[in-house]
Amino acid sequence: MATIVSLKGVTKDYGRDNVVTRALRGVDLNLGGGEFAAMAGPSGSGKSTLLNIIGGLDRPTEGRVEVDGRSLVDLSGGELSRLRRDRLGFIFQNFNLIPVLTALENAEYVLMLQGQAQAARRERVRAILREVGLEGLENRFPRELSGGQQQRVAIARAIAAEPALVLADEPTANVDSKTGAALLGLMRRLNEEKGVTFFFSTHDPAVMKQARRLIVLRDGRIAGDGPPAAQRIED
Amino acid sequence: MILRLAWRSIWRQKRRTLITVVSIGFGLALAVFFIAVAEGAYSQLVEQVVRMQAGHVTIENPAYRDAPAIDLRVDGVGRLRAEIERLDQVESTKLLILGQGVARSGAGAVGVSLMGVEPAGEAKTSPLSRNLVAGQYLAPEDDALVVIGRELAERLKLDLGRKLVLTTNDVSGQLKEELCRVKGVFATGSPEVDGYLVQAPLKFLGRLFGLPPDSATQVGLILKDPADQSRVIKAVRGLTGGRDLAVLPWQEVMPELAAYIRMDRGSNWIMQAILLFLIMFTIFNTILMSVLERSREFAVLLALGTAAGQVRRQIITETIYLGLIGCGAGLLVGGLASGAAQVWGINMSALMPEGVTISGFAVSPVFHAKLTWPILAWSGGLVFGATVLLGLIPTRRAVRVSVVDQLRG
Repeated sequence: MATIVSLKGVTKDYGRDNVVTRALRGVDLNLGGGEFAAMAGPSGSGKSTLLNIIGGLDRPTEGRVEVDGRSLVDLSGGELSRLRRDRLGFIFQNFNLIPVLTALENAEYVLMLQGQAQAARRERVRAILREVGLEGLENRFPRELSGGQQQRVAIARAIAAEPALVLADEPTANVDSKTGAALLGLMRRLNEEKGVTFFFSTHDPAVMKQARRLIVLRDGRIAGDGPPAAQRIED
Repeated sequence: MILRLAWRSIWRQKRRTLITVVSIGFGLALAVFFIAVAEGAYSQLVEQVVRMQAGHVTIENPAYRDAPAIDLRVDGVGRLRAEIERLDQVESTKLLILGQGVARSGAGAVGVSLMGVEPAGEAKTSPLSRNLVAGQYLAPEDDALVVIGRELAERLKLDLGRKLVLTTNDVSGQLKEELCRVKGVFATGSPEVDGYLVQAPLKFLGRLFGLPPDSATQVGLILKDPADQSRVIKAVRGLTGGRDLAVLPWQEVMPELAAYIRMDRGSNWIMQAILLFLIMFTIFNTILMSVLERSREFAVLLALGTAAGQVRRQIITETIYLGLIGCGAGLLVGGLASGAAQVWGINMSALMPEGVTISGFAVSPVFHAKLTWPILAWSGGLVFGATVLLGLIPTRRAVRVSVVDQLRG
């Protein structure tokens, strides 16, 4: 299993001058291709910060971050953009679909950025939307979809370009538990059938149980790493 | 997809987009209309004045402009005008004798400008013939007959057919007098013209001033299209190359009129620019609002791997759409309004019953706009360019959003 993410001594400080908040304190972490890993921990434990750093949206104060074999601290802004476009997928807590694009157009957005021909990308995205259970809803705008359907579009958008890693920040936080379970089932199926690597943060114990690996963060440090059953979570 | 994204983005706030488009369109339509009306007024003024005076192009003695005197004349005018009239751009030529004198009646005496004209041609083109309030205009067979302005007639208590004496110095400096009668009275609305101008047949004034036959103080050229002025001047200078003659554009013959038009045109453009500048603030505000309220959306686009340049292009494309719709509407409305004013004119006589004078010259109270492609291109281009330039400023803010902060929010 090739290593997709490698973090070594990652520290992240926020603030300036005398008021500094340390969000991450020397985090070491490796994620392999094909993993379905969750990250849990109390609010303020550094989950989102860690996802942002792995996703190249934020830079660490100290430490080394390698994603898909590339050291992120050495990349320029443009190179980070291209890495996110070509090798990473993002799923956000608030779905964050583009309101003026239809489900199909949202899902094909990254493929459009990559310069893929319209006919080819449409064919591909229709198949993915079918796979995530949105057949027949391709031409609906986000406002015409339920929260669960919107998150399915977001998942389709995240996996459309076949990224090396999909990062999901509390993907089930804004949907009811039944929809959350269905979304997680979908992500897990994509992981098993298509080999998509998922790394997501969550507060939901039901979601944590579905992960094959659970990383527990506490006060900016990794407090546990292994199968969910072996971890102790404190809120 | 950027085009589609931009197009749909501008319509997500329909009311705001419509207000922006209407602001651009309204400002541009007003600018086009007022500039076209002003250009029409200048054009009318110039046409009226040059036809009454020495034409779009004037040929005269090179020393005349510095010290106008009756002996500074052009000889051999018959052959010269025959050559000039062969030019395609020339509608007609006219001979003038211009001098100073005193008009005297039983009621008094007034210093006047004497203008000798050829009645046959002048009757067709001169505004004086169209502004007669009493009597008739000069006819080719007339000799000791004159037309005078209403104010002069009132001051000298002259009615139609009454006698007056014109006194002047002839070319040899001798005092000369001729008796003549009033054939017509005109009223142009201009105090200078109505109070001090006496028009008489060319041969009569030639005799009064003692000019030799086949001579005049000016040869005026009326052009079919005033835009051909510099080409005609070049051609006429070629024709008169061997002779010591000045070939002048009307702007040099009537510099005060040219200066007035330049100044008025400049202030008109400045007024329109101020108006548009104010409108541009509304547009800038709209674009800025539209960008600021979508900070999170831009953060998502950047997070997904959209290059900053692509986000900028999207916003600029939105601005271009706003500019195109606004400018298109503005040019259409402004063009149609100006076109209507060009065909039917705007009658200002109710607002100015005493008549309209511009820079001392009387003009028709019915203003016809003059809509030209340069007016549409310049005003449309300036407004469109300013709109797009304004869009560049918020663009910088859009790509400087903190992706992490926006996504966290």
